[in-house]
Amino acid sequence: MNGSSKKRILIIDDAALIRTYYRSALEVRGFIVEEALNGLEGLEKVLLQSFDLAIVDVNMPQMDGITFLLELRSKQLPVSGVPVLVISTEAGIQDLAAARRAGANYYLVKPIKQEVLAEYAAVFCGAPQ
Amino acid sequence: MTIALQDNVIRLIGSCPAEDGETLLQHLLTNPAAQIDWQGCESAHTTVIQVLLVSGRTVRGPAGGPFLERFIGPALARFNRQV
Amino acid sequence: MNEFMEQFLLESRELIVQAIDDLMALEAKPGDKESLDGAFRAFHTLKGAAGIVEFAAMARTLHAAEDILALLRSSTGAVSPNVLNECLACLDLTSRWLDAMQANGGTPPTAEADADEMIARLAGSMDIDESEKAVAAIPPGGDWLNRLQNAAGDQFFGTLTAVRLVPDPEAFFHGKDPISAIASLPKLLIVDLAPTDPAISLEAMNTFSCNLEILALTRAPIGEIREALHGFGDRAEICQLIPSQMPALDADHLARATAILEAQIGLLREEELGGLLGRLASAGRASANTLRYIGKSALAAEIEAASAVALAQGKAGPLITAIETALQREATSTQSTNTPTAQIAASRALRVDMDRIDALVRLTGELLVVKNTIGHLARKLQNHEGPEAVSSALHDQHARFDRLTAELQRAVLRIRVLPLRTVFRRFPRLVREIAGDVGKTVRLIIEGEGTEADATIVDALFEPLLHVLRNAVDHGIETSAGRELAAKPAMGTVIVRGRQDAENILIEIEDDGAGIDVDRIRTVAAARGIASEEALSAMPDAEAVDLIFSAGFSTAATVTGLSGRGVGMDSVRAAVGRLGGTAGVRSRRGIGTTVSLVLPFSLMMTRVMTVEAAGQAFGLPLDSVLETTIVSRSAIAPIGSGRAFVLRERTIPLINLAEALGLTCDEADRQSAKIVVVSTSGQIGGLEVDRLGERLDVMLKPMEGLLGGMRSVSGTTLLGDGRVLVVLDLQELFA
Repeated sequence: MNGSSKKRILIIDDAALIRTYYRSALEVRGFIVEEALNGLEGLEKVLLQSFDLAIVDVNMPQMDGITFLLELRSKQLPVSGVPVLVISTEAGIQDLAAARRAGANYYLVKPIKQEVLAEYAAVFCGAPQ
Repeated sequence: MTIALQDNVIRLIGSCPAEDGETLLQHLLTNPAAQIDWQGCESAHTTVIQVLLVSGRTVRGPAGGPFLERFIGPALARFNRQV
Repeated sequence: MNEFMEQFLLESRELIVQAIDDLMALEAKPGDKESLDGAFRAFHTLKGAAGIVEFAAMARTLHAAEDILALLRSSTGAVSPNVLNECLACLDLTSRWLDAMQANGGTPPTAEADADEMIARLAGSMDIDESEKAVAAIPPGGDWLNRLQNAAGDQFFGTLTAVRLVPDPEAFFHGKDPISAIASLPKLLIVDLAPTDPAISLEAMNTFSCNLEILALTRAPIGEIREALHGFGDRAEICQLIPSQMPALDADHLARATAILEAQIGLLREEELGGLLGRLASAGRASANTLRYIGKSALAAEIEAASAVALAQGKAGPLITAIETALQREATSTQSTNTPTAQIAASRALRVDMDRIDALVRLTGELLVVKNTIGHLARKLQNHEGPEAVSSALHDQHARFDRLTAELQRAVLRIRVLPLRTVFRRFPRLVREIAGDVGKTVRLIIEGEGTEADATIVDALFEPLLHVLRNAVDHGIETSAGRELAAKPAMGTVIVRGRQDAENILIEIEDDGAGIDVDRIRTVAAARGIASEEALSAMPDAEAVDLIFSAGFSTAATVTGLSGRGVGMDSVRAAVGRLGGTAGVRSRRGIGTTVSLVLPFSLMMTRVMTVEAAGQAFGLPLDSVLETTIVSRSAIAPIGSGRAFVLRERTIPLINLAEALGLTCDEADRQSAKIVVVSTSGQIGGLEVDRLGERLDVMLKPMEGLLGGMRSVSGTTLLGDGRVLVVLDLQELFA
């Protein structure tokens, strides 16, 4: 991957520890990482900048991940077409279903290992072999 | 009779009902060296399986019933390995 | 303690404080929605943090508390004091765990038992609330999912429903046969049994009482299982496991790709119509990228085309069909996809002051002016205008260009710069805690926190500085009794000072403690065999004090929980050395100790990949590593005087790294060879190594001394464990 085509990822999670954990996993793999503390801030960021992937928590203050997804998908293209990976502590099938109904492209359960996260990010960004 | 003691072998036969738990326990306590054989056992109440589990003894099989053979036999064996 | 642990502890403590505040507010104002929500969120986030550091006992305890708060959120009644008390007790317990972790670095050994007890108390607190005593809550099951996974082995994949049934001890009297109920579950995969009391014996058991924990795993949907076990009420814990939890999936990236593609079809089939275009576009991008990742660019292009059609028509159909086709072709494809995983050049993000970016923009503007002027001058020359005028103008422009490039260089360096404040500001709180732990009062004075240095250096300074500060508080500053005897103020002082010194950054950690006992250093150094007694007695004091930086040196009479972590000042010197700096110490008996770190202002890092050969670690410059591969020994053929192997129909010369460096290589009878494929000045070659290591950012030092003349070496660097990593010059190696 050359410098001009670095992939940009937005992390939306209210826990600073989780954001740092994701960020360090992603940055060593060459991704450019932006952070948002909740869905509202996340929405502001996606409207202003372009991203290759958003990694979103479900349970957040002000605007949760599901509302974020619904809002995001209702915007104009290309903003609404950002792939979203939901990572939540909830492991139930109904949580997965709710995220998918709202427009999530994939759902993973916390805790997630850094290598696994980086791998998923690479898959979603189509990092070439 | 669904539990029979013969030649120091305790046989479980047919469908063992709830009260067989206590019968099996008494047999095991009075015959510490007895073998257990469930080849003729179709099914067994939880009380019986609980005694088998606590006894930690190997059960001569395969069990007569498919559920016992496929699920309970391996579960007993795993528990015995751990203890 | 790693960076996450450090942050985990800090943040968890903050969350605990926040949760306590909210719970107290709730006590003052029962039914206050905002406080309840706040407390719930704090517990939830704490649970998440516990998950990250893999502290299972903490995660499940907080999960239990969170469940209770969730119940309270959905009920309308006021919160009973009893529940609040247990939630506070839960925070208290968590707080004690954190203290233990801070002191010992690991999760406390009693945590599992503590958690069991706390969870039972939390469950109990709810019971009392309910007017009619409900079925007693299920006893805590610890890591039952893990146990089930172990029992299930390779059957543990796909969508599964897991059951934990702990029947009421009275179940038999109620005519229940729990195992038969399990036997009747559809699509059963595995059953696991254990007595609830592991110490039970035949002699002591009561066959009329059910004392079993029954675990089961099925492929049936959770609804069916719930219905089947309805009669057991709360005694049956049932949960659905979704595919992403399955470890098998992570092992195989083809399986992962399949799962992601299937998920896109799932998303596209959703009946919800809101945001259709966004769903289409995102599913198209996700699918195409997934295929690209596994090397199926042609399929990816087809998906993109189908996605465009779908977007134009506003219908999911064309995209679903294309993804399904891709899934089928992927499944039937015989082509090996076992190529090495993508390798992405590392970069670390950096927050940059807007002013600095503006300076770059301004410089760029000025450079453009120079470029235009030079173009103008060139045209003048073409038009044969007087060379004197052009030459003088060119000279002017060269001077301007010279100034601008120098400015540009400085501006670019300044972008990578951070103030020391970013690391210093974490210390006041930590020093207070450390002092509290050892029963001393210490004030920390910070000076020169605005001093700037390369971001990499600033980031890497935290650990070594914290270590020096710990030492200063723990071993340097005397107890207040000791200070009184020495006629010093009861409160000790530690100063952390940063300043720029020419091209270097100087950081000093000064304490007004007892100073270092040089004679004791000599004694210990002799006892540890660090130097001979003669050498030690001939050594000047300043040099002897420096021995505290020697590996394995620790003079503290009592090793405290704080500083006694098996790392000495040698780790500080090593860490500073890795950044290209030096560490020194000055001390005066009774007056105090000053540790000084001198660091370069900026540093240039080299990315290397580490490998092992003949038991030694070597670094290969990452920009020349193309890929790593494993080749069966039978596929390596002798060619001329050397050897070669074939990779994707291309013959590649192979050299054994140990042999090439003249090291003894134990000609192993291994079936396959681990090979790093490298490219050097346009040539591709393979290096056989014993082990493939990790990727590192290192700062190279030129070779000195004995190694200076060694062939094929471009420099050395210190590894985290103190070993020297030799970084190879591949061009010389293949020459």
